[in-house]
Amino acid sequence: MKREEIRQRLKEVQSLPTLPPIVSKLNQMVSDEDVTAVKLGRIIEKDQVLTSKLLKMVNSSFFGFPQRISTVSNAIVLLGFNVIKTLIVTSSIFEVMQASDIGLFEHSLGCATAAGLVAKKLGIKNPEEVSTAGLIHDLGKIVLRAEMPQEYELVVETAAKRQQYMREVEQEALGIGHGEIGGILARQWNLPERLVYPIEYHHRPEASPDYADVSAIIHFSDIVIRALGFGFGGDKWVPPLDHQAWSRIKLGKTQMRQLLEELDEKLMELQDFTLDIQQDKKESA
Amino acid sequence: MQRIPLKLAQPGMVLAKEAVTSEGQVLCGAGTTLSQEILARLAKQEVLTLTVEGHPVSMPGEKTLPEKLKELDLRFSKVKDDPVLRALKTLIAEFWIIQEKGEDFLKNLKKGKAG
Repeated sequence: MKREEIRQRLKEVQSLPTLPPIVSKLNQMVSDEDVTAVKLGRIIEKDQVLTSKLLKMVNSSFFGFPQRISTVSNAIVLLGFNVIKTLIVTSSIFEVMQASDIGLFEHSLGCATAAGLVAKKLGIKNPEEVSTAGLIHDLGKIVLRAEMPQEYELVVETAAKRQQYMREVEQEALGIGHGEIGGILARQWNLPERLVYPIEYHHRPEASPDYADVSAIIHFSDIVIRALGFGFGGDKWVPPLDHQAWSRIKLGKTQMRQLLEELDEKLMELQDFTLDIQQDKKESA
Repeated sequence: MQRIPLKLAQPGMVLAKEAVTSEGQVLCGAGTTLSQEILARLAKQEVLTLTVEGHPVSMPGEKTLPEKLKELDLRFSKVKDDPVLRALKTLIAEFWIIQEKGEDFLKNLKKGKAG
């Protein structure tokens, strides 16, 4: 399969993440300057299933809010509309992922957690948005798996057989990497650039046309979470570090120890969260 | 320290972190030695997990420290030459060793290596 063919197919990707119709309505509303969090929240809350999924996500440990968020409008105020919108857009994708690839789901949650912690350490504004970028950084892999399962399987198998990074095999076999694929889709869904670029450039953060700081954090968080062996991101190796990106982060030893400690606690909570979700699934099935 | 389901907690184990309900209410502080009575009370309050000192329970499928360190090595096998990543790997290994064996064990280990 060639690169252009894949790009074309991505344009037609409808089957996988059925974008809730609510998204286009919300998009329209947000462009209206008078709209308030309460109004937006009210619209979202009409959809009870979506609301309960959303509240579960915003209250999970990777955002790490000390108090419980109990309404959507509250979530919009605390996390920002970009985060809520992204969680809505990707909610069905994460459902696919929970069912088909719990390893990748855990990897994504882990990366979100690490990214939020690093962003807070660096004093970056709206760290929840950075967390969300971490959550969806491997969007391309999810899409690849759902839309082109044969190609995806071939890539994973080849990577394991040849002991190569997954993205090297993607480039060779498909002519396009999961970063770019994720970026194309995220753009198609009108996600903000502060989320699109980190998805697209998490393996080469310094090429990020803007928000290079966020791209660098996602790049590094992906490395840390793979280093810890939490979840499974498609291959088992720690990816190479971009040193220019690292110079934007540069945590010292003490800060790194602190990060590992905070992360350890949150990752344990995350495991409870994923067990919980799986339990819910079994009960509803 | 180790995080374990309440079901596997035994009298005599010592809490490394406070026991909290899912609502965030603190029931016992770190350092508390668990008794049959306390365990019953925690169960009543629907506490699901506890963090205890040491590593008293071997969980099914859980890896031992040497296994964990070996896999850590393997995961870093493609980036051995990067000094920053090498430092990261060392920090993670040390973190796990301290978690399981305590600070002194690591110090002695380092001394042993130096001597």
